[in-house]
Amino acid sequence: MKRVIESDVCIIGGGITAAMVAERLAERTSASITVVEAGQRTASLAERTHTRARMLAYGENPYPNDHIPDQTGTGAMYRQMVVGGSAMHWGGAIPRYSPEDFRIRSLYGVGFDWPISWDDIEPYYQEAEERIGAAGEQGPPDCDPRSQPYPMPPLPLSYNLARMREWTDRAGIPFWTQPWARNTEPYRGRNVCQRCDTCAVCPTGAKYTPDFAFDQLLAAGRIDLVDRTLVRRLALEPGTDRIAAAEAVDRDAPGEAVEFRAGTFVIAAGHAWSSHLLLLSANSRFPDGLANRTGNVGRYMTGHWYMSGYVDLPMRLYPGVFANNSLLSHRFASPGPLDRYLRHDLRLWESNVGRAPRLTDDEGRLLWGDEIMADWRSRTESGATARIRAYYDVIPDRESRLTLDRANTNAMGDPMPRIGYRAAGATIGLEPHTLGTIRGRFEELARAAGGTVRNTRTSRLFEHPGGGCRMGNDPATSVVDRWGRTHDHENLFVVGSPTIVSSGCANGTLTFCALSLMAAEEIGKEGLR
Amino acid sequence: MAAASVVGCAPDGGGSEAERPDGDSPVADRTRGFPSTAPVPLPGETLGAVAEAVLPAELGDDGHERAVAAFERWSDGLEPVVELAHPYLVPETRYSGPDPRPGWVAQLQGIEKECESRYGKAFGDLDVPARRNLLARPLGQAGPGIGSPANADHVALALMAHFFASPIATDLCYGRVIAKQQCRGLEGALRDPVALAGSGAP
Repeated sequence: MKRVIESDVCIIGGGITAAMVAERLAERTSASITVVEAGQRTASLAERTHTRARMLAYGENPYPNDHIPDQTGTGAMYRQMVVGGSAMHWGGAIPRYSPEDFRIRSLYGVGFDWPISWDDIEPYYQEAEERIGAAGEQGPPDCDPRSQPYPMPPLPLSYNLARMREWTDRAGIPFWTQPWARNTEPYRGRNVCQRCDTCAVCPTGAKYTPDFAFDQLLAAGRIDLVDRTLVRRLALEPGTDRIAAAEAVDRDAPGEAVEFRAGTFVIAAGHAWSSHLLLLSANSRFPDGLANRTGNVGRYMTGHWYMSGYVDLPMRLYPGVFANNSLLSHRFASPGPLDRYLRHDLRLWESNVGRAPRLTDDEGRLLWGDEIMADWRSRTESGATARIRAYYDVIPDRESRLTLDRANTNAMGDPMPRIGYRAAGATIGLEPHTLGTIRGRFEELARAAGGTVRNTRTSRLFEHPGGGCRMGNDPATSVVDRWGRTHDHENLFVVGSPTIVSSGCANGTLTFCALSLMAAEEIGKEGLR
Repeated sequence: MAAASVVGCAPDGGGSEAERPDGDSPVADRTRGFPSTAPVPLPGETLGAVAEAVLPAELGDDGHERAVAAFERWSDGLEPVVELAHPYLVPETRYSGPDPRPGWVAQLQGIEKECESRYGKAFGDLDVPARRNLLARPLGQAGPGIGSPANADHVALALMAHFFASPIATDLCYGRVIAKQQCRGLEGALRDPVALAGSGAP
């Protein structure tokens, strides 16, 4: 028994990049669109007040049933598999990459150039910001280029961040408010941010989550959303390299196969599951997986590393005023051509590290009620703490790779993904310079306020990950072209994070969305109705 | 000067400062509306006597009672072995620990038995230094941080952790109405937080 669902466009994955593609195609074409999501719907906006309270009180997951128990891999990847994807849980930080990100090989002689330029992607950044609803502050134009204003004014600086910006101004390093996917005005039917400070779960709807876009498209009858349905492989048309169908299983009726037929297929399944599906879809003509004639699927997995630290400041701050806002600087994302290669951002937050209530004092003596409060007060009155972090660019290695793990299978016997990230030799060789320079900048900042760096730590978790289906002009070294179309299959696109060439030194979601909108423009030219 | 922090986005739907009923306890508001699943109620009198020993005296009797009531409501709503929020880029599901409440009940019962056998009186009849003497040994292994209440090995530590994590504790420390993690609106973000009534803060 097989259920067949036909449409003009079949989008596999139900996260933020799928929402971008679906929304644009729905507006600009009359194509029939099906979105297939393996996960299910999770807490509705109305339920998020309660789940937020449970998260605050008990640390509980505010999005029940947001994953599939046997659908999980190894290596740094998101647990969520749900309508809305990982952008249900995100904080909503939406900086753009820098113009230099797209041509670091040409500018600095390291890494890889992208097949697109800043000028190519900039209009799609703007479009993504308008679809999401971005609230941002224009930074210095040389550090923060943009052709049009943000759709909404920035989140207001908190009292704490305003004091911290006085400090960074003294240091001569420009900082501005982090752009956010949170409303500062009513926007597209959603509320204004209420400064609840639990942005992972926003109880007011001020933070953009993709379920809002899907709900609007469903209400308008412009998409079909088929959830709880796992696509297991793509099948070719006999005798051609075109994709004919996505073969899936209904998780509520595992014995019944579901086949999605479409003229165009779009994989929008994130950095892990997109490459995974292509590799799972191996057949006699593509024995190493679809779109993988040159063996690049799953390679060049990327992300950025960071150094973070805490700075003790001789000023009075009040942690908790607005912990989920922050200051941002891209001052160090654009080094001169003769500088040794290092590109990083800087972020600053309020913090209570070192100034939280504690049970024992410095001598290990147990404290009681009033003593705890007195000790706590004395440490908050003597100064404040700021958290600082620098994401820095990591050049991905070809062997930074997602593979199928035959030792880890789901209930149907499909191997799950295993990601072994690896940085290229250039990044490893530069690391002492990178970390020493960033630490020096932390100390320079601290000195400007008469403060000190309390401590630093480094992380080699590949944050805001992407890659696996990177874009390029040369099929020998890439999987998709600049529009996300696979080199090997004319009617198969991959969008978003898998297609990036490198992760730069900024949160990636806005770039994933902009790339998806670029792809949607190309898909829209496909002779769709 | 403001009177105290407010709680927004409460599970019963309380949202903004304006919606909060007069006279409600900010501490109590944290957990209102959660279902009761506690297998055995915590012995209230002993818990109240523990609160007098481990929480700031500046809260006064009324504040101690509110803190204990809030802790009891929180305890009633606690569910063991539930799925926790996913850490960033961790592909495994994580769960909370086993139910600490039977142990806490036993600890409170044990405190009373110890008092009866050593002093021939109830824990609440001891003066505060004597109560602290009894509690010092179980708390001696903890610290330096207070930790989270659900992970506390001892009920006294759980009570302290619950109180000191509350918005009202932060406001008392700073003498300001910070109202952390409350839905406060954007308007007041830039202002120096107003002084808490009676705090003596300028």
